Amino acid sequence: MSTYLQKAKRQWHPIAASTDLVPRHVYHAQLAGRELAVWRADDGHVNVWENRCLHRGVRLSIGINDGRELVCQYHGWRYANRTAGCTYIPAHPADAPARTICNNQYAVIEQNGLIWSSEADDQPELPVVNFRAGENLVLRAMPINATADLVLAELIQDINKDEHCKDRVIEQDSFALSMLLVGNNTHLQINYFIQPVDSNRVVVRAVLSGLPNDANTAYKLQTLREHNEILKQVQECAEKQMEALETPLPWEPVIRLVSEKLSYMPELSAQGHSLLRVTVSDIRDTATAIKAVELTAIEGQLPTFQPGAHIDLHLSNGMIRQYSLANATGQTDRYIIGVKRELVSTGGSAYIHETLRIGDVVAVSVPRNNFPMRRDAVKTLLIAGGIGITPMLSMAQALHHSSMPFELHYFVQGNDHLAFKDILETFSSSLIVHSALDSAQTQLELKNILSFYNSAHHVYVCGPGPMLDVARTIAQSHSWPDDAVHFEYFKNTQTQDDSVPFEVSLSRSGLTLQVPSGKSLLEVLRENDIDLPSSCEQGACGTCKVTVTAGELLHQDVYLSETEKQRGDCMMTCVSRAKSKSLTIDI
Amino acid sequence: MIKLYDYELSGNCYKVRLMLSMLSIQYTSETVEFYPAQEHKSPWFRKINPLGTLPVLVDNNLALKDSAAILVYLASRYAENTSWYPSYDPARLAQVIEWLAFADQLTGSASQARLAEGFFYQIDADTCRKKAHQLFRLLDEHIWFAEQQDQPWLVEGNDPTIADIACFPYIILSEEGSIMRQDYPAIRRWTDRVKRLPGFTVMPGVFPAGPAQ
Repeated sequence: MSTYLQKAKRQWHPIAASTDLVPRHVYHAQLAGRELAVWRADDGHVNVWENRCLHRGVRLSIGINDGRELVCQYHGWRYANRTAGCTYIPAHPADAPARTICNNQYAVIEQNGLIWSSEADDQPELPVVNFRAGENLVLRAMPINATADLVLAELIQDINKDEHCKDRVIEQDSFALSMLLVGNNTHLQINYFIQPVDSNRVVVRAVLSGLPNDANTAYKLQTLREHNEILKQVQECAEKQMEALETPLPWEPVIRLVSEKLSYMPELSAQGHSLLRVTVSDIRDTATAIKAVELTAIEGQLPTFQPGAHIDLHLSNGMIRQYSLANATGQTDRYIIGVKRELVSTGGSAYIHETLRIGDVVAVSVPRNNFPMRRDAVKTLLIAGGIGITPMLSMAQALHHSSMPFELHYFVQGNDHLAFKDILETFSSSLIVHSALDSAQTQLELKNILSFYNSAHHVYVCGPGPMLDVARTIAQSHSWPDDAVHFEYFKNTQTQDDSVPFEVSLSRSGLTLQVPSGKSLLEVLRENDIDLPSSCEQGACGTCKVTVTAGELLHQDVYLSETEKQRGDCMMTCVSRAKSKSLTIDI
Repeated sequence: MIKLYDYELSGNCYKVRLMLSMLSIQYTSETVEFYPAQEHKSPWFRKINPLGTLPVLVDNNLALKDSAAILVYLASRYAENTSWYPSYDPARLAQVIEWLAFADQLTGSASQARLAEGFFYQIDADTCRKKAHQLFRLLDEHIWFAEQQDQPWLVEGNDPTIADIACFPYIILSEEGSIMRQDYPAIRRWTDRVKRLPGFTVMPGVFPAGPAQ
């Protein structure tokens, strides 16, 4: 690597003007040979990403910025604002993408009307650039097919030609040049920045400072035109000189592999969770007995989530509770959960309602998604009962943002139980509230909602167990296929039978273990140092699912559908057991 | 009904399809296989267009043989919004004609590079690319300064004109002739704006834009 390139890579460079990043646009930049897709999300955040889709390497700069996610044009992979994590793969509509599918991103700072980036690992300080007091004007950037030193020399020479200006170079280095422009009545300063695009290509960006505060539009336009002419001359002269020189080889950027943090399996804690520490940034009452809690990262970014995902919240009283994220797609600066104060709290919800305070630090697991939402349904029905609204909020916001047809049926005890009204308002035309119904009325409403099944329609249900049971039965009797009915239980209320011991063979590990009565398969695996991710440990969330290759199963979970249970090729290790004497599982 | 002699991969035919779609005009089309059959040079097609070029638009007894002429005709004859072809405003009208000439220069450069790369024409592609980049530089500068004055289109005014339609195809297809648009951020933003016009339609190699904010 040339010393020049090394130097270029060590520092910050402007890669675009702020005004280049118009809403819903993807800007195509390049720095030190590396192509970048640069886009501003609707929340204002600027993303600077490797300009290639992780799937087939197609440039993301031709993708679609939908304001929250960037969508690749080729096969529609979607990546989230801020995290660059993949949120949806159309070819696998029923699955949540793996956490490792995360694009490379680069540092970004927006300052003085320019977007700055650097690919240095240890982030250097942004160079202190002095601007003259008064208004700034960002000039039109000038791409030049010549080396940086040639362009720099040309800039100095060209400006010195102007007899009407007594120019003074204030500062100069390999990539920047500051000059004082002293005219008849003006004291302007110009800061040139040479953006090293490639070995023989640069973009000259410049900021003019010291403009009078009352400078009018016509004056500014005139100034912009004058400087554009100067830079065009520099462009012409530099490119002419370049013709006589041998073209240097282009810089070959090294595309980084998946970051190390993502590529290893998450380190498992005693409970099998990979934890991160977050700050409680907001707690507010959002409905009767429901608090909205917002969590923000202490450092870096929160990991990617998709609609339907949940986190485990580890409370300082030692309890672990699962909460669905209510976030909109691309809303990646915090996690939003809703916590209902349970009448008979075992300590989780009571702790959050009474003890947890803004500013507290708590631990959460990375988001896990066992309730993923398809984004290819002709129509999506969302049915929420009570606090079951939280995953539906995330789903509804995603569907609404993509203008996909959906209805959200929200069953509540009374209107004072309507949570997250601010979010509900954003898609009010798709919201149907069913308030204060008794169980017979609820059943009747569910029948109305689910009375017709149409091809490629999907229904998602989250709420209290009895309501889910009813909804699933109704859906089944109205010809909804199992794979179109998606559900998430809060908890497993089925009676568990762990009396019968069985033997389990681990085909990949080459182990055979005995599961005695009174112990779960998950516990036995843990005792033998086989860590399996788990979350609710009561057969509701789906995290500890394993593939079964032989044996008859006693399913005791509420996660798998009837079809999946009958297929008998997977099980929840936390609650389910063998009916046969032995089982073979694929771990 | 209007009939278009059409070839799907032709940028000049795409200009006409764009205009027809944006003006919601019903039409039938007949494919003339430009490549590899070279049907546009065949005797039967030369009876329709002695020049042997595409597209040709037939409306009743009128047969028009040039994409710019067809755009002028469609916009004048069928557009409810008269600003597509502002014949009432001499200054704007003249600017439209300027850009139609510019579009022809694009056909002579960017389109030629694409013919060399995608259709194996024996053309000096490097020279074509160089010429195209010169044009793109002028266009980017024009659009950048137009944006500074809140003017989104090639010709001043709030509405697009046939100039935008005439210039769009061979710019958006330039990468098929190995002409990158990375150095032309203002052109890239303008192509997004064209893609968001009501009735915009795609062709192979042209991707749709997402919804505006």
